[in-house]
Amino acid sequence: MDAKNKTPGWANWLLKTFGHPDTQEEVTGDLLELYAHWVATVGERKARWRYSLNVLKLLRPFAVRNQSTDYSTPFFLSPAMIQNYVKIALRNLLRHKAYSLINIVGLALGMACSLLIGLWVYDELNYDRFLPYHAQIHYVRVNYSFRGNEIQTASATPGPLSEAITRDIPQVAAVTKLTWPSERLVHVGDRVAKEQGQYASVGFFDVFDLPAVSGNPRSALANLNQIVISQRLAEIYFPNSQAVGQSLQLDNNKRFVVGAVLKNLPPTSTLQFDWLVNFKAQEEEWQTQWGYNAVQTYLRLKPATTALQAEASMKGMFRRYATFNNNEHIVLQPITDLHLWGDYENGVAVGGQIEYVRIFGIVALFILLIACINFMNLSTARSAKRSREVGVRKVIGARRLALVGQFLSESTILSLLSAVIALVLVWLTLPAFNTLFDKQITLDFADPVRWIGITGLVLITGLLAGSYPALFLSGGQPARILQGLHFRFSNHRAGPAQLRQVLVVFQFALSTFLIVGMLVIGRQMSYLRTKHLGLDRGNVVYLNLEGQLNDYQKTEALRHELIQLPSVAGATTAAHLPLNIQSNTTDLHWSGQNEKQLVSVSAMSVGNDFIKTTGIKLLDGRDFRPNALADTACYLINEAAARLMGMNKPVGQHITFWFGKGPIIGLMKDFHLGSLREAIKPLVITYMPPSAQYLLIKPRAGQTAQALADLERLVNQFNGDYPFSYHFLDEAYQRLYHREQQVSVLINYFGILAILISCLGLFGLAAFSAEQRTKEIGIRKVLGASIGSLVALLSTDFLKLVLIAFILASPVAYYVMQQWLTGFAYRVELSWWVFVLAGGLAVGIALLTVSYQSIKTALMNPVKSLRSE
Amino acid sequence: MKRAFLGEFEEVVLLTVAILDEGAYGVTVTQEIEQKTGRAVGFSTVHTTLQRLQEKGFLASEMGGATAERGGRRKRFFVVTAAGRKALAEVKQVREQLWNALPPQTLQLMGG
Repeated sequence: MDAKNKTPGWANWLLKTFGHPDTQEEVTGDLLELYAHWVATVGERKARWRYSLNVLKLLRPFAVRNQSTDYSTPFFLSPAMIQNYVKIALRNLLRHKAYSLINIVGLALGMACSLLIGLWVYDELNYDRFLPYHAQIHYVRVNYSFRGNEIQTASATPGPLSEAITRDIPQVAAVTKLTWPSERLVHVGDRVAKEQGQYASVGFFDVFDLPAVSGNPRSALANLNQIVISQRLAEIYFPNSQAVGQSLQLDNNKRFVVGAVLKNLPPTSTLQFDWLVNFKAQEEEWQTQWGYNAVQTYLRLKPATTALQAEASMKGMFRRYATFNNNEHIVLQPITDLHLWGDYENGVAVGGQIEYVRIFGIVALFILLIACINFMNLSTARSAKRSREVGVRKVIGARRLALVGQFLSESTILSLLSAVIALVLVWLTLPAFNTLFDKQITLDFADPVRWIGITGLVLITGLLAGSYPALFLSGGQPARILQGLHFRFSNHRAGPAQLRQVLVVFQFALSTFLIVGMLVIGRQMSYLRTKHLGLDRGNVVYLNLEGQLNDYQKTEALRHELIQLPSVAGATTAAHLPLNIQSNTTDLHWSGQNEKQLVSVSAMSVGNDFIKTTGIKLLDGRDFRPNALADTACYLINEAAARLMGMNKPVGQHITFWFGKGPIIGLMKDFHLGSLREAIKPLVITYMPPSAQYLLIKPRAGQTAQALADLERLVNQFNGDYPFSYHFLDEAYQRLYHREQQVSVLINYFGILAILISCLGLFGLAAFSAEQRTKEIGIRKVLGASIGSLVALLSTDFLKLVLIAFILASPVAYYVMQQWLTGFAYRVELSWWVFVLAGGLAVGIALLTVSYQSIKTALMNPVKSLRSE
Repeated sequence: MKRAFLGEFEEVVLLTVAILDEGAYGVTVTQEIEQKTGRAVGFSTVHTTLQRLQEKGFLASEMGGATAERGGRRKRFFVVTAAGRKALAEVKQVREQLWNALPPQTLQLMGG
């Protein structure tokens, strides 16, 4: 009977592959019997058809339920099993102390890092979210388009804009204007100190519904004689009494009655003030004009209106009220974006703090990953040793899930222990971290988000770190495991050795990347610190003109006394710090100008001896003549301005600027007007001593201390009410790179940490591989291998990996650092030696790590290692 | 009264196994049902039902001898268990009770 041969082959194959194994034999037999019957009764073709059909129907999934086995296996998450996992895990931990230590230290460092950064990122992302109605509050910016397609986004708005919005824009529920925060002297009795505050229009509390401790903030702000203060201020100045109703003196002359005390603003607030006074109490002429960008404007939209709708109805707003400008466009930025998206390019928010939030987040992830990789590597390396345990468990009847559960709970216990250490580390380092980042982050465990975050971190780390050993160790056939075959020839998949190599490469690639980052950012930072800016910055002292010195006559008298002193080389006044000129204007005209195109130039007013004191180089012409009123319509320009106007020999030519038509009297060599992120802008300097905000003093070389002492004496004489404070121009300049400075410090720490954690892992791996190869080394030694050759033998394996990592990381690091550097108009070159140095460092450190183990093994007495066989 | 549920087809299969007595295995059960009821039953359906009945405890099985006709494969013979017999008896009893409850005129109309 050869009926079998004629049955459809594919059906037989299906049955053999997918049929239920318990009943396969009789089913196959039955079907064959039936087939013979069908051939006899309905013919061969129909028989084949019925045969196939029946096979297909038999394959219905779950057509036959699995026969239950006779004995039950415990569920892998039952309490008894978990208890067992924990017990085994703790025993394992204690038995291999060195191994556990490496693991826990590595993980704890990694977790502390990511926790710290996690806290920081969480803090950054939550700016202004404490505000009621924060989704509706927007910051008003104005886009101006200039020559070419350049769009500049101003964060300041004209004073009258807020009233115009209230009048004209139906989508807006409330609007307020604010001055920039300024420090004013606050007097109450004997207590005197500078406190930061703002002037705000009455709509303020309709936009920001801030909670009060006492008093009514709305009516207090509406009243020109009242002041709203923070709880902090109330506690300092009125410690024993109710603050509301008491009087407070602001800036030596104005007295206010405290009308309300506000709850302190959280550190995550963009608004930071300790006092608030009605805008009208200080309003000046220029703040009421459309032509000046003078104030900050915030508004709150009505519910169910979008910023786009409001922006649309604000189109042409300026045209209605101001005659001069017709190419502006109002943009509304959600207040929750204000902190993170500060940089505008071409009228659109492109970045800002968010870039650093991302960088730090990625770095934190990297470090955690490196720490997890250590764990995985060390566990797979040790897996051969644990194979007997796994084999025995399997033979006894452990299900795969139970083994997975065991390994995962082991890694989770480790990660829990590490988390505890990490929390202690975070707690210890948080104060330093807060100082570095100007933050007030606390480990506040009342906040459920933190608990969830930390628990999540522990679980994710535990699962990630334990995943490979759990899946790999549990997967083998017990017989093979017990014979020791599973780990030697893992049939088709990549074995743990290859995986380890890949992971080590990955780790060191990340570390190399961070080293390159460290070097490049460090170099750029030192370039920023040392680049010659075109003026003297290291030896120029400045102070704010305040109090009595707000008076031009007094300032001039002080300046006059100063320049008489032998310790002072020069003194001048200016409306801005020359390294951070923030004033822009379109009010520049020259003959031959294309009238349709507005240009934006930087502008600044200075007093006497400006060029002499700051050390700016004059290429042509002269400085302003001291006290010469004739020079008020004369202008100094820089090279960029000359280029803009297309003048080859600008001195003597006439331009029209703030003070009317006048000649250019001097051409300054370009100096940096702001951060090196931006190219040097065209600049026009006017002579206007009364507009001074700063006094700049240049001590004679080597007499800085004397000059400062003299300065303090004189300033106290002129302005005794105010505490004397001075700064070096250098400091003001450094503040421009605040964020970069923070990144630089952080990257340095993290780079070192990443290397440290990677090396910790490498150390463990080297120890393992040395241990595994003791017999081989013993034989080599007996046969006459030299110690040097043995060390080389043991080290090269790892060095190869580090080299591959370097080759892989270099292009990525090159690209990323190039991207970062393009943010600066003036920057260092990415030179090849940076990469060589980074690679050399990585290799060197890896070599050091490995060599200890290699040398130890190579020096071992072969008699010991070979005796057992 | 708590009773094991027996589907209509399950009942037929169980009865057939009982009828075939010693010789009940996949093929004979299938062919017997085809002959006795005239309905074309797939082997797969019968096989599944036999498995299910065994799972429910109405059938027991053991492997018998092999024949050349089946390519040397053994047969699985089924016998009705005590529980199976009880279930069949209960089904019969329920049916009879229902028939007996029919009013005579309806019985006449049905041609009984």
